[in-house]
Formats: sequence, structure tokens, C-alpha cells
Amino acid sequence: MVHLIERSVLSQAYFSKDHVARHQFESYNNFLEYNLQTVVDEQRVIETDIEHRGKNNEAVWVELGKIRVEKPIVREADGSQSELYPTEARLRNLNYAAPMILEMTLCQGEERYDPIETTIGQLPVMIGSKACNLHGLSDDERVERGEDRLDSGGYFIVNGTERVLMSLEDLASNKIMTEYTERYNEQIHVSKVFSQYRGYRALVVVEKNKKNLLDVSFPSVAGHLRFADLMRSLGLETDSDVVMAVSHDEDILTYMMQNLEAAECSSVEEGVMYVGKKLAPNQTKEYQKKRAEFVLDNYLLPHLNYLISPSVKEGDDGYEEMLINVRLAKAHFLGRMAEACFHLALKKRKTDDKDHYSNKRLKLAGDLMEDLFRISLNRLTRDVKYQLERASMRHRDLSIQTAVRADVLTERLLHPLATGNWVGGRTGVSQLLDRVDHMSVISHLRRVISPLSRSQPHFEARDLHPTQWGRICPSETPEGPNCGLVKNFAQLVEVSKGVHDEEEIKNVLFSIGVEPIGGELR
Amino acid sequence: MPSPKRIGKLDFGLLSPKDVRKMSVCKVIWPDTYDDDGFPYTKGLMDPSLGVIDPGLRCKTCGQKSGDCPGHFGHIDLAKPVIHVGYTRLIRKLLRVTCRACGRLLLEPQEIDKFSALGDDPFSADVVSEKDIKKERVCPHCTEQQLKVNFEKPTTFMEAWTEDGRKTEHKLTPADIRARLERIPDEDLKILGIDASVARPEWTILTVLSVPPVTMRPSIILENGQRSEDDLTHKLVDIIRINQRFKENQDAGAPQLIIEDLWELLQYHVTTYMDNEVAGCPPARHRSGRPLKTLSQRLKGKDGRFRGSLSGKRVNFSARTVISPDPNLSVSELGIPLAIANEMSVPIRVTRENIEELRSMILVGPERPTLRDPCGANYAIRPDNRRLRLHGGSGLLDNREMVAAMIEPGWTVDRQLRDGDIVLFNRQPSLHRMSIMSHRIKLMDDRTFRLNPAVCPPYNADFDGDEMNMHVPQTEEARAEASLLASVQENILSPRFGGPIIGGIHDHISGIFLLTHELRWFTKPEVLYLLKHANIEFLPKPGKIEDGIPYWSNKQVFSMILPRGLNMVYRATSCTNCPECKKELCERDAYVRIIDGDHISGTIDKKSVGAFEGAIMNRIIRTHGLKRAREYIDDMTKLSIRSIMFIGFTFGIDDEDLSRTEYGQIRDLLDEAELDVEKRIRIYKNGQLEPMPGRTAEETLEMQIMQVLGKARDRTGDIAGSHLGLGNSAVVMAVSGARGSMLNLTQMAGCIGQQSVRGERIVRGYEGRTLPHFKKYDQGAGAHGFIRNSYKSGISPTEFFFHAIGGREGLVDTAVRTSQSGYLQRRLINALQDLKVAYDGTVRTTGGRIIQFKYGEDGTDPTKSAFGDPVDVKGIVESVLKEEV
Repeated sequence: MVHLIERSVLSQAYFSKDHVARHQFESYNNFLEYNLQTVVDEQRVIETDIEHRGKNNEAVWVELGKIRVEKPIVREADGSQSELYPTEARLRNLNYAAPMILEMTLCQGEERYDPIETTIGQLPVMIGSKACNLHGLSDDERVERGEDRLDSGGYFIVNGTERVLMSLEDLASNKIMTEYTERYNEQIHVSKVFSQYRGYRALVVVEKNKKNLLDVSFPSVAGHLRFADLMRSLGLETDSDVVMAVSHDEDILTYMMQNLEAAECSSVEEGVMYVGKKLAPNQTKEYQKKRAEFVLDNYLLPHLNYLISPSVKEGDDGYEEMLINVRLAKAHFLGRMAEACFHLALKKRKTDDKDHYSNKRLKLAGDLMEDLFRISLNRLTRDVKYQLERASMRHRDLSIQTAVRADVLTERLLHPLATGNWVGGRTGVSQLLDRVDHMSVISHLRRVISPLSRSQPHFEARDLHPTQWGRICPSETPEGPNCGLVKNFAQLVEVSKGVHDEEEIKNVLFSIGVEPIGGELR
Repeated sequence: MPSPKRIGKLDFGLLSPKDVRKMSVCKVIWPDTYDDDGFPYTKGLMDPSLGVIDPGLRCKTCGQKSGDCPGHFGHIDLAKPVIHVGYTRLIRKLLRVTCRACGRLLLEPQEIDKFSALGDDPFSADVVSEKDIKKERVCPHCTEQQLKVNFEKPTTFMEAWTEDGRKTEHKLTPADIRARLERIPDEDLKILGIDASVARPEWTILTVLSVPPVTMRPSIILENGQRSEDDLTHKLVDIIRINQRFKENQDAGAPQLIIEDLWELLQYHVTTYMDNEVAGCPPARHRSGRPLKTLSQRLKGKDGRFRGSLSGKRVNFSARTVISPDPNLSVSELGIPLAIANEMSVPIRVTRENIEELRSMILVGPERPTLRDPCGANYAIRPDNRRLRLHGGSGLLDNREMVAAMIEPGWTVDRQLRDGDIVLFNRQPSLHRMSIMSHRIKLMDDRTFRLNPAVCPPYNADFDGDEMNMHVPQTEEARAEASLLASVQENILSPRFGGPIIGGIHDHISGIFLLTHELRWFTKPEVLYLLKHANIEFLPKPGKIEDGIPYWSNKQVFSMILPRGLNMVYRATSCTNCPECKKELCERDAYVRIIDGDHISGTIDKKSVGAFEGAIMNRIIRTHGLKRAREYIDDMTKLSIRSIMFIGFTFGIDDEDLSRTEYGQIRDLLDEAELDVEKRIRIYKNGQLEPMPGRTAEETLEMQIMQVLGKARDRTGDIAGSHLGLGNSAVVMAVSGARGSMLNLTQMAGCIGQQSVRGERIVRGYEGRTLPHFKKYDQGAGAHGFIRNSYKSGISPTEFFFHAIGGREGLVDTAVRTSQSGYLQRRLINALQDLKVAYDGTVRTTGGRIIQFKYGEDGTDPTKSAFGDPVDVKGIVESVLKEEV
């Protein structure tokens, strides 16, 4: 039994104002510290189509380096800059945003110019986050700067209005889920994966039909592909390889026999051609092969592409080998999906409960900002490319400073935050902070919304699920059409944010006896 | 005003190019609207002959002022024909069923004869469908080989054929299509259900575009003095601009490619002008990126012309505010705030007889200061329909005396509302006719509408912040209809079930129950206190006199509000349906007997006076009429409120307390039930459970557990109920039917019981268990949502969570249900709104088609029926015999 006094210490720790918006801070700070740089690294270079420049018509590109975020500032009409505090931003209808500074290097052929640091735009800063001017200040210091000592922060200020980013609840990606569906009065066992990689989301489905044959479907393939032939195309040469990738189980072996009998390909090349024929009928063999490989590498289970290390470029040594390994990994993943499918059919596994909270993932402020920044940075690079090309056409000197128009990025970051229309067409992501009273502020900062449509019944999704214990408040949900779809965090919720050091996890796994398979060797 | 005309017949057809030109007053050729001086260009889109929108100007065509001139159509001559998007499906059908060379229907001549023999019957229209005609074959009339016609959204038609094994397609231009449609003979069209005299198919391809009058696309002037044009004008500008360019290119002999591009562009603009939401066509946008609202968007949807402007309109003479209860009002009255009464008005014609009265009203003016002041007037209307707004106060605008001196017979005065005026009162959703009823108003202080709580059931209103609307009828006919058809009194009986929908609720029932239960005696002051607000003229002879003091029994008190000649025998809500009825000797006093308006025995409760049931109300309506019934309801509600105040009625947390013995009993009982559940689970696990027919063993187990636990919960209720008697207010409410049930009491004092989701115990959650607080695969009561605590004793965290799960289901259910029922209601109303009972007793549509030969198939008016039956035989016999049958 916890002693009474100790309990009060505990509750202090949990119910303090720092706890109210902690998930918001942690997520946003994580974005500032790691993911911002990750997104820049994904982009890495801005390539241009500049020709006829320099001596040997050498290609011109820009390499992106380190990005850092400064503290929020305000730029006056006379050009002077000063530190900006939230209260001033609120009163003067300003944006509480800090300049982002990116290291960029212009390259031409072999020549590398000096790296240049440029402001690429203003990043909206969450009140109380590490980038905020209030960070690290004591209560009294905050009061001095016009803040309420009880204000929890965790929101943004855009044009003087306080905007909160809603936490979005979504089905977990990269996780195999099984379910039954019905087609033409036939019961079909299905295993699904929402494979997500760098903002790209692809649904991969493996289904077992009445004849026990497996079909795989994924984006860019019309209809579906035969499982065994697809496995073959991913580099599993022999029948036993294919079977072993699925299971050693005897019952499943019989199923696999049926599948292998229905297969038409007996080598990797044939498999690739089978896929190519499906993708691009009536085309040349070479094109089909190229197309098939491209689709297998990019659209099938894209989340496994994290295995492609970014340091190895196309054409380098070991690149081909790496691709082969990734395909093998994909084959093994498909095998796991097939196994799940068979297990469901054999009643060794139940359908996954989509409302189970372990099957949910939360998209917090940081993740949303990351999505936004990725698209915006992409736009910026296109603009930079265009500006450089234009400068080149007019035979001006190429200069990064003039090519980067900071407003492009700033506008793209602020507008969604101001309207709530996020990238990907989602609306209501940012909302005006409810300042009716202190309780409503706390509640608003801890709100979770589900992307399910409010016009359909969705009885099961609206139910209070026992796994929400300790995570989602059982009592607080609106009445009316949003009932059960809009939720609020429980008092003691902790939102985990994943790890950055994957090697460590792998080592732990290996140390407890996990054996690596084909593609995941490295 | 022009005399009203009767519409004899309507013909629906297409506008022919000739029609368009005939009704056009101006050929529009310039894409510009106003010049720099702000004058409209002639032959531009704002040509003055198209109508006037600027006040003060006169129409060039009809000479009327803005507001009177309806506007006039113009036209644009299109450089090349374009397809009207609204008719693409018709065009596709016609292209597929007719010959590409001769235009005849692709049917053998004898088949054509067969269909045309069906001839003139208007209902057999559209006999030939696309399916009747086989695709790709040779025309029976001219032996031309037919090609497949493909259609691509929004407006592209292609002919497809196979040439040496390869599929080839070629696009049909609107001109080609028009030429083909022109060839279709009138007789063939008739078979397709098209009347060629009003709708030649080639008119679906536009060669000339009608330009709507400026009155339907007025330009507005923004605050900064800039003109902002209507979306339609913008779209027309685009069309004219492209049309001009097209013409120029055509005349200059531009290459085919450019012509085709322009043609497609023109087609796009005309398409989006008609409908800016066509599939396969990017919507035309305003400069700001907002999609334009073009013709189809004006008509479609909830805020469109049909649903928004024609079926539904905004009204004047209406008020809306929060409602609150006032039990001292009659059910037919409505308390309205002074502020509303001062704003609303009733037009009164000035005659010789009332001129002085109206004059005094005008002198009061629009600002009646207090409730007690005589009502004032807001407007005086001259015989030429000019309105004079009255101004009060002492300012310069004060025109009261001047107007008062001016009025004479022939004027009309808009008088403010005063006590006794009739108004319509409404609460949304208006699901049945009792959602709008007329009341007589009573001016009151404060700012809410006041109504007697007994009229809440028909409106489905409560006082948790509900708002309601009031409408003031403006004509004598409207007032007559409101009072004769829509008054509360006329609507006591519901056509839904043929019983009274208005009656006592909540405290009315508790109060009358407390008053009439068993026998008690009141002294004269007490009786007078109880009946103070009831409309009673004299006291009957006292029931007994003790020590020289007269006493009246409670049943006598109640009898005083009953009409004479009322005979009833029935059983009250508190009756438990004992196998053998002890009649008058019932220990629950549930056997009600009323003879000749004297309440002899039994307790008056929900069955007697409640809304929806109200046996006494029902009988009074049948025997004494609606007016007497309303008086009875007024008296009854007032008597019951006085009774409950006299006797006293409270409920507190300690009213749920039981004694130690009961708590012990409840604990033992629940322990026993949980053990029973354990036992059954063991039996199931051993595989010894006998499954019930049609169920698996698991389902059987679940059912048994639910049953055992349900029974246990009920028994705790019995234990609690046996401890709590009629001295407990919750019991009184439950027994009398006023509010709540014994189940609620059980949950408060005994045991909350099993929580369920969709009729099952709570089964979802982690693997093998609902919550991590339980062992895996524990099927026991507590692990699946059984709450053994009561609301009084307090519930454990897991129980609380299960309760939240069960409670959430209810919330979701109500939310989903309300939206669904609203839509269902809309569909029902749309389907039934035009049906009526004709003079021959049949139910017919407006077209005269018979739906029912006799209304309701028994010809009975449900309001006049006895809870659905045409004749209440039992009631009649009982009232004659004065005995139960």
C-alpha cells in the first residue's frame, strides 16, 4: 500500500500542468531533434536539368546538409528582428514561428562550392517546446513575459490565433491483420497490411479463396497476382524455399502444395516476367522486366525498403545485392502473411480486433508536422530547381541564396495550420484552442480523433474498448454524431514514441535467440 | 393585381433554337458587362433590355421599374453546336437505338408496328428501351452496318469498330450527333416515349444558348465600390469569349486542330455553365479557387431552389425563445414575454365601430411599458398599402398623434399581441401534427415562453434548454383554423393510438397518487387549500363529521373535479395482476371505481391521468366532449400539484439505505449467484453442458449466466423493495408510474447488475480476458461486466469501467437513431404528403389513383377510435353496468 504522503507526491507528478500537454511536447521535440533532419536526409539532393553550362555540360545539383531551428523571432516592417514571445504574437496577430536554417551545397560536376547556410522558411513553434522562447523559464519569468503561470502550452499560434493539433488515431501500419470477407457468397480469409514508408501508404492484401489458392494484391497491380509466382519473382528459386518461407506446419504444407501446383513459373526470371506481363501487357519484354522490378521494389510492401541503406546509391557496388536482399525480405514477409491467412482458416488464429488499442497508432503533433514538412520541403526543392534552371537560362550566376524563396515553405507550413486542411485532404486537424475555461483547454489539448466517418454507424468503433483502460478516458466523449469517435486521453496516459537506435533492439532480439533470415541479415 | 388564373395543363419539353430566339430580346455578343463609367454595354451581358436591377432605372423592354420587371432573356449564337450535359444519357440512348445512316429505329418494321400499336396511352410511354435493341447489326431499313457508340463522361461520344483485328475509335462531333438526331423520324420517337412536337432530340444539342435575365444574376457592389458579378455572369463571359475566338478562328480558316481545341473548350464552358459538378470534368473555379455555383447547383440539394426556397421559406411574425414550465397556466394557454408581444402584431381593419379603440392603441405606440398596459400598435397601413411605422418615445420621430388623427375606416392597424390572442406554437422536429398546436397567449414577465408541463408530451419538450417557435396568424381564416383545428383542446387525442396524448406527467402523477391513495380525511381549510386553483364552485356534503368538525375524504376531493355521470371501473398502474382480484378490498388500493362522477375506490395514478394512457381523460372526452376534458386536465394538474405540495415529497441519498439484514441478504444472494455461475462454467468446461436447441454449448452457457445474474439482480431489488415501502419517494414514483421503475431502485439500493453490449456480456478486450485485472480465460461474473455493487454503495474501478462500456452503447445508440429516424421521417412524408381522402371515401393521390378503397381499410378516424378499435364495446358496457365485465 502506498503511503498517503507518497501518493500525494505521485499525484503531483501526474496531475501537474506539465503533464497536461506532455505528449504534445514530446512529439514535437522529437520532430525537432530527429525527424526534421530525417526528412531533409530523405531528400538529400536537389537535382536539376541544367545543361550547357560550364565546360563539359556537367550536371548541377544541390546537396542538403544539416538543418537547425532557431528561436521564434519577429521581423518588423523596418527590417529589425527581435525575440518573440507568445503573448506578443497573440496580441499582434503574428505567427509564433522560428527560422529554419539549412546547410546547402551547390555542386557542379566534380566541383563543390562552399556550403551555404540559408533560411529556408519559418517553422511554427509549439508553445513550451524546446524551440520556444519560454523553454526552461521558471513560472515567474513566464509571468514577466506575459504568460499565465497555469498555461500548459502545447499549441501553436498562427496569425494570433491559438491552434491545437489533434492527435489522430489510426490503424497500425506494417502490422499483419486478418479478417473474413465474403465475395460471391464465398467466405474468404484475408490478411492485410497497411505498409507505410515515408508518408507513402500502400495496402497489401493476401487472400485465400475457396480453392485454397492465395492471391496477392497491392497498389499499381490491377486485380491480383498468384502468390507462388510472386514469391518466385521475389527471388525464392525452389519450391521448398517458397514453402519454408510460409510455414513448416503439416496442414499448411497441403495448402502450399495446392498453391505450387497452380503456379506457372519455375524460376526467378519467369516469376518476374509473370509480374511484368500483368503490369504492362502488350509491351516489350525488356520494358516488362524493368517495370516489374520497379513495382516490386517500390509498391510492394514499401515499408521493408528501410533496409535499403541511403548511403548506397544506384550503380554502386553492392546495390544490386542489397535489392535482392530486400526482395527476399519482402518474400518472407509475404510468407508470414500467407501463414496468418492459413492459420485463420485452420482456426489457429482469430480475426484481429481492429479496435484493440494495440492495433492503433497515434499521430501526434510531431508526426503531423513531419508529414507537412515533407510535402512542403518537396515543394521548396522543386521551386529551388525551377529558380536555378531559370537563372541558368538567363545566364546568371547560380546562387542558392536567391534560388531559395523562404516564403514558399513558410506559406505551405502555416496555411494548413491556420485552416486545419492538412496534406492528404484531411480536415479539422488543427483546431482553434477552446479557451472557454481552463478545463476545456486541458481537454482540448488531450483530444484524440478517429478518422472514421461520422455519418456511418460504426457501432464497434464507437464502443469503449477494454484496452482503452488507462489510455483513453471512459467517460469523456461527445454526445451526438461524434460519439465514441472523438476521445480524450486518460489522466495517466503515456504515449511511447519509438526508438532511434534499432541496432540495440536487434541485438536484444538476437540475444534472446531470434535467428535472422535472408534479407534481414544486415 | 392581376386576377388569378388557373393552370389547365403543363407540357414539358425542350427549348428549340427557334423558341430561344423568339423569347430573346437581345443577341449578346460582347463578353463585357459595364464600361468604365458604370454603364452597361449594349449587346453585352448586362444589356439594359435584359431587365433592370438598379433601383430608379426603367427596363428598356417592358418599361417597368426594378422589382416589377421580371427580366427578359437574351441569347448567344454559338459558333458550333455543343452538347447539353443534362441530356447526355438520352443522346447516348438515341444514338444506340437508331441507324447511323437513315435515323430509323433499329427494329424490324413489324416490331415497330407492334410498339406503335400500344399507341396513345400516356402511361405506356418509354416502351422501347436500349435493351430491346440488339447491338451492332445491320439496319433493317437501309442495311447500313451499325457501329458501337461509346460514351465517355462528361460529353464525349465515339464510334468504335474493328478493322483488321484492331479496335478503332473515332470521335463524333456535336454537329455529327445533331445531324444524326435530326434524321430520326417523329413516329419512331413516339415509340421511345418522346413527343416530337415539344422535344425534338436535336434540340439537346445547343446551337443557340439562352442568356438568363440580369434579374437572376444581379451584380452586387462591394463596400469598396467595386462591382462583383454573379457566378453565372462569369460563366457566360467565358462562353462568349471563347465563342468569339472560335468564330474568328473559323472565319480565318484556322487548322482543324485549333478548331477542335476551341470546340472542346466551348463545350467545357457550356457544360460547367449548366452543371459544375459533372463527373469527369474539373469544376470551373472562381479566381479565389472556389468552385462556381452554376445553374444546376442553384437547384440541387438542401439549400437549392426546390428544397431551400420553394418547399421551405423563412417567415415573419414568428418568435423563438427558451421554454420553461408554469403549472398555473391552463394547458391551452401560453405565457409569452412582453418583448415578444410588443414585436409581434395582428392586423386589424379600421371600421366605424373600432376606430376609437384603435386610435388609443396608436397613441400607446410600439413601446408598451408593462404587462398591465393596454396593447399598442406597430404600424398603420393606409388604404393604398403604404405602411407607416409608428414611433414612440418623445423624440422627433414620434408620430403617434399624427397617425392617430389620420386613420379612418379603410386603414389597417398592426396591433400588438394581448392576452387571449391565438398563436401557433411549435417544437422541432415536427414529427406529428401535435408538434404544432395553437394556444391562447398570456403576457408574462421575463424572457421565456411558459407552458403547462402537461403539454410537454405532444411536443416532446422538456425544460433543459429547449427552445420553441411561435407564429402569429395574420388573417381571420388562419385564426379560425388555428382555434378550431389546431388548438390544444382539439389535439388531446392522438391520431397515433386513439388515446389522449396530453395528461399528467411526473409530479402530477405522484401528487394525485399521494392524494388518492387509500383513505384519508381533510378538514375544510385543507380541502380549500388543495382545490384553491381548481375551478370548483361549491363543496359537497362532508364525508364525515367528527366532534362537530366536518371532514372530506381524499376521494371526495378528487371527485370534485370529475364531471357528473362518469362511470368507470378499471385497474390502476399499481395493480400487480394478482391471480384473484380482491376488487375494492385490494390492499394496494389498485381497483378504481368511479360511479356517477364519484370516486369510490382505488388509487388515481398514471393509468388514470397520465399522458398516453389517461383512462379518465379518454372517457370524459367520449362522454362530455373535448372542452370538459381540457377543464378536467387543468383542474387535475392543479389539484395534483397542490396535493404534492401539501403532503410533501423529497428524495435524498439516505432514501436508498437498507438495514444491515438486507445488506447481508443481498451479499449472500450475490455470492450464491456467483457461485452458481462458477458451477455452470465448471460444467461447461467439463463438457457436460447440454446445449439448448439451436445453440452451441458456449452460447448456452452465456445465456445461463445472463439469466442467473439477471435473476439475482432482480432478487436484490425485491429485497430492497420489501424494505422500502410507500414511505419512500422512489417507490411512490415507480409504483404510480410517474418516473423510474423498480429497476432503477434496484440499481440504487441493491445491485447494478450485468452490463451488456448488444445483448451480450462484455467479451472484447485483451487476449483471453476483458481487463488485465482478471486471470486469463476467467469466465466468471466479475470478469465480464457484472457489477455487484449498487450506486449507493459505490462501484470498484473495474466495475466503473464496465459501466462506462455499457453506458457508451446507449449514447451511441441514441446518436445513431436520431439521425436515422429523421431521414426515415423525411422519406415517409415525401411519399405520403399528397395523399388525401376523397369524397367517395377512397384514399387517392393527386393524380386520382386509388391507394386505399377505404381510409385505413376500416374507414375509422384513429382519433375517434378507442385505442385503435372502432368501437369501445367493453367501455360502453362497463359504463352502463357500472361493474367490471
